[in-house]
Amino acid sequence: MRNIKGNFISALLLLFAIAICFLSTLKFLSMQKKEAIFPSRGLTSRKMLSSYFPGLKKTWGDTDVYLYEGQEKGGNLLILGGAHANEPAGFITAVLLIENIQVSTGKIIIVPRANNSGFTHSQPQEGNPQRYSLESPWGRRHFRHGSRLTNPVHQWPDPSIYINPAGQKLSGADSRNLNRCYPGRKTGSLTEKIASGIMELIKKEKIDLALDLHEAAPEYPVINAIVFHENSADLAALTLMELQIEGFDFRLEASPTNLRGLSHREWGDHAQIMAILLESANASHGRLKGKTSPALIVEGKDKNYMKAAKLGLLFVPYGEDGIPLKLRVARHLAAVKSILSNLEELYPEKRIEIKNMPSSSELKKVGIGPFLNPPN
Amino acid sequence: MQIVYHLIVFYLTCHFIWYLFREKKFWNKVSVALVLIMFLLRLFLIK
Repeated sequence: MRNIKGNFISALLLLFAIAICFLSTLKFLSMQKKEAIFPSRGLTSRKMLSSYFPGLKKTWGDTDVYLYEGQEKGGNLLILGGAHANEPAGFITAVLLIENIQVSTGKIIIVPRANNSGFTHSQPQEGNPQRYSLESPWGRRHFRHGSRLTNPVHQWPDPSIYINPAGQKLSGADSRNLNRCYPGRKTGSLTEKIASGIMELIKKEKIDLALDLHEAAPEYPVINAIVFHENSADLAALTLMELQIEGFDFRLEASPTNLRGLSHREWGDHAQIMAILLESANASHGRLKGKTSPALIVEGKDKNYMKAAKLGLLFVPYGEDGIPLKLRVARHLAAVKSILSNLEELYPEKRIEIKNMPSSSELKKVGIGPFLNPPN
Repeated sequence: MQIVYHLIVFYLTCHFIWYLFREKKFWNKVSVALVLIMFLLRLFLIK
């Protein structure tokens, strides 16, 4: 009798464990669902990264590629957002461009979720929210807040020391960091295959200039920065001057030649293109932040960072208004616009002309929402 | 490598279920059930 009672309790507990697993599974699987992007009428075609590198087909590394081609020939530009899925300004800038632009001269290719796997999980041990939302005239739009690294469910295990395709020794976890895996390995790990897919895209689409959009903590020295490969030094310098005249405080950082595996270094070295990485300052990304909430991601206000700014510990100005997402996206958009105007000045044959690009000054005033398209 | 990992997790999951039914003390059973949740999630590579 006692045994039957014990077995009954065990069976109940087993059912309880299975029920918790089921509920958790629903939550975890919902993280794999991509939010919809509603492209502008200017979209010429949409492909998958696997169409450039078939090794990515049916993997979590395969991702959407949006192509905007003008009627007149000009330069070819690649814009990469979401290489790190916990840096929302890069992803949202890519989304805003996809949902607004029309290209009349040249070609623009946008990859909003460069590391798609990174969007399917959250940064471990950070207590990060899974989503943040933006108000638009068409209702609230939700966006995933992912992780800097590829999901360990999709790529496991990490080596103790990672030697990347460019030969640099790094920590094991960096084997899942897309921006340490260039130029990629076709038979390597998932992250190396994604890097390889992006290199193939650059070569097959004859890209002239590639921009990688990122964010970093306000206490990190390479911040509000234009990191450039020596192939794009003139372009970066002219862009810096123009942006400073417009009132955006940027700094120039030359891509170190001995730091291998990063987009700005390997794109330039292996594909001989102009490569630029843009960084904006995100308080939700740093070590000094308080609670990480969707509000911190969107509004960028944090008391600890205000104190740190007063103590002179930050590399960017940080006031009571914080550094909101709309300002971080406006900075990226202003930089993209300035890079394109200076590209035309330096290389008229590589001119790229865009219509309906969201204006950074308007974005700072009215926010991101009004520039998002209605669901179709 | 993934198959070896799956086999190890599967073995441990079976072991915990067996232990859940063998254990007499109630709170030990509860502890086993809680540990089991993580192993089931890993077994199906959900998290």
